[in-house]
Amino acid sequence: MAYTSREALFAFRRSPLLTSLSIATIAFALYTLSVFGLVWRNIDRVLADVEERVEVIAYLVDGTDPTETSALMREVAAYPEVDSIAYLSKEDALARARAELSDYSALYEDLESNPLPASVEIALKSGYRDAADVDDVATRIARFAFVEDIKYGEDWVQKLDFLQNLSLFLGLVVGGVFAVIAFVAIGATINIVLISREDEIAIMKMVGATRSFIARPLVIEGFIKGVLGAVIALVLLTFTYSLLEQRVVSLSFYSPLQVAGGILLGGALGAVASIVTLRRHLATW
Amino acid sequence: MILFKNVHKEYPRTGYALQDVSFHLRKGEFTFVTGPSGAGKTTLVKLVTMEERPTAGTVRISGYASDKIKTREIPALRRRLGIVFQDFRLLKNRTARENVAFALEVTGASAEQINPKVLRTLAAVGLSDKADHLPSELSGGEQQRVAIARALVNDPFILLADEPTGNLDPKVALDILRVFKDINLRGMAVLLVTHDRTLLGEHPRARIIELDQGRIVRDTANGEAAG
Ligand SMILES: Nc1ncnc2c1ncn2[C@@H]1O[C@H](COP(=O)(O)OP(=O)(O)OP(=O)(O)O)[C@@H](O)[C@H]1O
Ligand SMILES: [Mg+2]
Repeated sequence: MAYTSREALFAFRRSPLLTSLSIATIAFALYTLSVFGLVWRNIDRVLADVEERVEVIAYLVDGTDPTETSALMREVAAYPEVDSIAYLSKEDALARARAELSDYSALYEDLESNPLPASVEIALKSGYRDAADVDDVATRIARFAFVEDIKYGEDWVQKLDFLQNLSLFLGLVVGGVFAVIAFVAIGATINIVLISREDEIAIMKMVGATRSFIARPLVIEGFIKGVLGAVIALVLLTFTYSLLEQRVVSLSFYSPLQVAGGILLGGALGAVASIVTLRRHLATW
Repeated sequence: MILFKNVHKEYPRTGYALQDVSFHLRKGEFTFVTGPSGAGKTTLVKLVTMEERPTAGTVRISGYASDKIKTREIPALRRRLGIVFQDFRLLKNRTARENVAFALEVTGASAEQINPKVLRTLAAVGLSDKADHLPSELSGGEQQRVAIARALVNDPFILLADEPTGNLDPKVALDILRVFKDINLRGMAVLLVTHDRTLLGEHPRARIIELDQGRIVRDTANGEAAG
């Protein structure tokens, strides 16, 4: 045990530059991954929030015949995607506008005629709230001649959808590139250690050291580097998060379990990089 | 204990280093392996340590067979062998005591087990008073004694030495040979590779295996044989 811990520190002293580089690249890999992950996570939350309220609103032409309206409502209520449907008259619309926009109620006070159209509000079942389904329902309703206009979350739901996928993609690509660099840097550090200790390792093999005995300190060292990198990433991430939180919007952060998982991921990255390099070097006995 | 049976060893580019080598080393035996440069002596030692495997034939070392042993079993085999080289192979930044302890450390032994054993072994090679010297503070002969102590400290059943006196003055070489003889008197087998004929004369009762161009040309255990 004394041997293992003593040796684990050896590389830090042996090649401080490469060691720092290894730690920094792991930190960057995990930082980029976690930033984009955080974006993904928050978009996901917003989307889930929006989805709750996903509805299609069909605005009706003024003076539409009530029998036509109820025919539409009966037909649409029968769509498999539709959860509920409600009619909002011109008067109700104005009342709601006054209530919701109380700050601007003056705008609506002295209106001679009611400018708001009557509408039918359609809520969708939870399985049918994605962009494609919403779009499909909207298209079908738009075919009614007396439907003047149709509104649904389309635009920004799709944009958020896209952003979410983009952030996942960027996170994986940029994080992946850094992870590869980290892999190479850790491998290079171990190469240097192994070359600088060629004689010692030859002696170890000669006196009967097992492969795991020789490898263990180097794997532990890789693990420590990974954990250090992850901790640095966490500090950077917390900093980024609090900046955004202050300036922009309220965001959700990773759960403690996810943070612990991320730190372990860093450690695993470092350990695996070490093992891969060592396998090549300690193949012969 | 050590059995070579029709062993051939061919290296990829240089061809045969050993051809049809057979012998049996018994418990407690002192054996010289001799022969001119390139005869295959070091190759023979590497076959014993399983650093190399025979191209044909089998090598058996105390229960391990060259055609069956797995790489992960080799460390256990090495712990039963004590190995000494011409160039000592000590760790420069460690004292005599630490160099000897190193062989026990890698087996996972505890400090309480290590210390007394190291001191006893250093005493056995006559180096008690230099235990805390670095290799650079020791003469060649003293360094080789440290290496012998390191080879002995794991209680091997045989001590293998490849030209252990090759880097030493003739007088010091004789001192080192005496160390090997002492150890052998206490019952340990010794296989000593040398091309120095004067050493052979210093131990007339020892067995001599002579190699030339990869073949055994003399084995005193078989009477004065082929040639
Ligand atoms: N690793 C190797 N790869 C290829 N050929 C080798 C290797 N080791 C030894 N040889 C060849 O095998 C033959 C025997 O070499 P070996 O080292 O066993 O001789 P030796 O008897 O120990 O010689 P010396 O007295 O000079 O140490 C030589 O011809 C050498 O060139
Ligand atoms: Mg040789």
